[in-house]
Amino acid sequence: MQNIQRKHAISHRLTSAFVLVFLVAGCGKQKTENDVNLETVYAPEAGGTLVDAMTGEPSGLIPMIAGESAASAVAGNIFNSLLKYDKNLELEGELATSWLVSPDQRTITFTLKPNLKWADGKALTSADVLFTWKLVTDDNTRTPYASDYKLVTKAETPNAQTFRVTYAQPYAPAMDSWAGLQILPKHLLEGQDINTTAFARQPVGSSYYKLESWRNGERISLVRNANSTQGPAKIEHLVSRFIPDAASQFLELLADNIDSMNLNPIQYARIFPARPELIKKIGLYKELGNNYTYLGFNLKHKPFDDIRVRQAINYAINKQEIIDGVLLGLGEPVSSPYKPGTRWSNPNLQPYKYDPAKAIALLKEAGFKDHNRDGILIRDGKPLAFEILTNQNKQREMSAVLIQRRLKEIGIDAKIRVMEWASFVGRFIKTGDFDVVLLGWGLSLDPDQFSIWHSSQQGPGQFNFIGYNNPQVDKLLEQGRMELDPDKRMKIYHEFASVLQEDSPIVYLFAGYGLPAIHKRVKGIDNPAPPAGIGHNSYEWYIPKPLRRTEMSSD
Amino acid sequence: MRAMLIKSLSNPLAMLGFIIIAAVLLFALFAPVLAPFDPDAIDVKSILLSPSPQHWMGTDGLGRDVFSRMLFGARISLLVGIVAVGIATIIGIVLGAISGYYRGWVDVLIMRLVDVMLSIPTFFLILAVIAFLTPSIWNIMIVIGLTSWMGVTRLVRAEFMSLHGREFVLASQALGARDGRLIFKHLLPNSLTPIIVSSVLGVASAVLIESGLSFLGLGVQAPQASWGNILTDGKEYIEFAWWLSLFPGLAILITVLGYNLLGEGLRDALDPRTANKSS
Repeated sequence: MQNIQRKHAISHRLTSAFVLVFLVAGCGKQKTENDVNLETVYAPEAGGTLVDAMTGEPSGLIPMIAGESAASAVAGNIFNSLLKYDKNLELEGELATSWLVSPDQRTITFTLKPNLKWADGKALTSADVLFTWKLVTDDNTRTPYASDYKLVTKAETPNAQTFRVTYAQPYAPAMDSWAGLQILPKHLLEGQDINTTAFARQPVGSSYYKLESWRNGERISLVRNANSTQGPAKIEHLVSRFIPDAASQFLELLADNIDSMNLNPIQYARIFPARPELIKKIGLYKELGNNYTYLGFNLKHKPFDDIRVRQAINYAINKQEIIDGVLLGLGEPVSSPYKPGTRWSNPNLQPYKYDPAKAIALLKEAGFKDHNRDGILIRDGKPLAFEILTNQNKQREMSAVLIQRRLKEIGIDAKIRVMEWASFVGRFIKTGDFDVVLLGWGLSLDPDQFSIWHSSQQGPGQFNFIGYNNPQVDKLLEQGRMELDPDKRMKIYHEFASVLQEDSPIVYLFAGYGLPAIHKRVKGIDNPAPPAGIGHNSYEWYIPKPLRRTEMSSD
Repeated sequence: MRAMLIKSLSNPLAMLGFIIIAAVLLFALFAPVLAPFDPDAIDVKSILLSPSPQHWMGTDGLGRDVFSRMLFGARISLLVGIVAVGIATIIGIVLGAISGYYRGWVDVLIMRLVDVMLSIPTFFLILAVIAFLTPSIWNIMIVIGLTSWMGVTRLVRAEFMSLHGREFVLASQALGARDGRLIFKHLLPNSLTPIIVSSVLGVASAVLIESGLSFLGLGVQAPQASWGNILTDGKEYIEFAWWLSLFPGLAILITVLGYNLLGEGLRDALDPRTANKSS
């Protein structure tokens, strides 16, 4: 044991000496590197290493247990689901070759592709799918994702290639849920406690990549899976380095130590344009994220139970100013709770225009007046004042400052309180002890937002923490879940969005663009990004041999 | 007293410290007159402009004028420093006087309390307390004050103990002076010099603590400017907008340096042992 540790220490020292040499050599070599033309067209070829950066380290690689974005980002390259979304966000088979919905819309039969294999060579069958379903619905499994799958009343495997689920009543988000459940190998997990299994750190999957090594606090390396159910990927190694600080990530990108990261608007719109040598080697992309930022009222608190107050605040906030000032124009205004430009977003809705005069008129109508001429409106002896709570997120803090100023102009005294995320959720969101929050929603691709808006979802820890209660919306949400016909469903959600828009329980602020930067040595990237985002075909990306960096073996 | 001040200012470094502090105080005092812009005025059309004749220290991520914010930030930093040290000094004098004058079990009790407080790293104690309170400038002053009185207590106690046996005190006691008169007329005035020195040095550390807290987002809240939170804003843009980090960093450095120079200068001038050397 001791010997092994010793050896490790030595090899570490050797690596750092090596790094030093490499850095020194790097300085001299710069000129030749610049000579390589990154714009040349190369034929696709396999091999090479892509290094990206992650802010957090996954706690494990079983996504249903880890439940964090860091885990799903890595696990998405290792595991497959039955279905997946194609580049235009339409569902297609991943492990399934086809699926059939029964006429009563309650039963779905999936047929798996033939000859599927796990990375260790064992056969992947419907028994694995059934096993995974049992796992996710098991009460001993600590997962936040069980609810969708618990609606399945019967799951069966008529043969090794067929998996059939039956619901008590038609459930439209079911399809999306089967695109979200990553299938786990029964032969490795049976009889183990999924919450604590060592499998989380040495996963075996079926997708393009398999785990090569995982160095705590440093990096996860994936290598191509020869048995991939989806065919071979081009890039040989995927390395994810854990770099918590965005500013350090950026320095690493500039130093050519990582190939990709997500930029912030300042980096994208200010730093890059000012430095042509960066544009030469790093490609910038833009994709609209499936999320939006909003100002939410606690509808159980006065005066936010008054629709006129909510609308007045909505009119008083200049959303374009926030998009220009905070996102440097790299965002879109939002008027329904869906990604702008998708099928579910109602194209007839317009955001509330910036109109302070109308806001003042609405507040006057609601009974607010500046009795003591101090610039702050008063009703029933109480000033119109509240606290805007948000978490430590630069964009949200800056938006709050802009909103605060606009509200002051119409006589509302808003204070800002910025909190660390965990205590923010624990002390204010779960207890409902807040007036106004500035937060964001990250959305799934299915339009069902029952858990966010339905009046039954107001318990502690549930998502309708603003206390929204509208019977009409409740009914629409219930209908939307039962309707499997996409066109009819679309109409339901368009109506839902227009009710929300009128009612103004939240003020939509913006949907920001994701701004991936990827080194130009990586080829095969779709630009502009399709609706599914830039990464939808990452398995087709390739790094031509002349452009690969001098690889240092990691072990 | 005045002679000592003059004497200490004859030391060039102490003089420099005095000038720095006087300048910062003047800037803070006349911030509304000196500031070319409203420190909270947002202008999304002039985000992150580099220093220019119009914006001497450039603009920040929301287009606010950094120079104006620095001036108003000086007020916060100095106010926090002075009030916090005021609180600490008052507590320190009271406890130190009781401890040094009455001695016995009161002394033991207070000194053990001092030991307990000193054994906790102050900054982390403050962090823990602030996490439970609403972060605001008043809470910060109070919390810094309540966690930095131990040094003064020890000084006052030691001073009282050494003065206790002196002739003038004994004489006064023999004439029938009460405790109050002894403490306030004789002991306290004669212990003032080390208290002043430690207060001046205390302001320096209070300014640092406030900047640290604001940098971590637990101090002065937006949109109010403080050097600490201007520095935080700058962190994100450091390789692009250097002016957002440089100016508040320099301001903190220079102010703290000023207080330290003045404090050290005063100490040298007031301490008879070093005074002989320097003259």
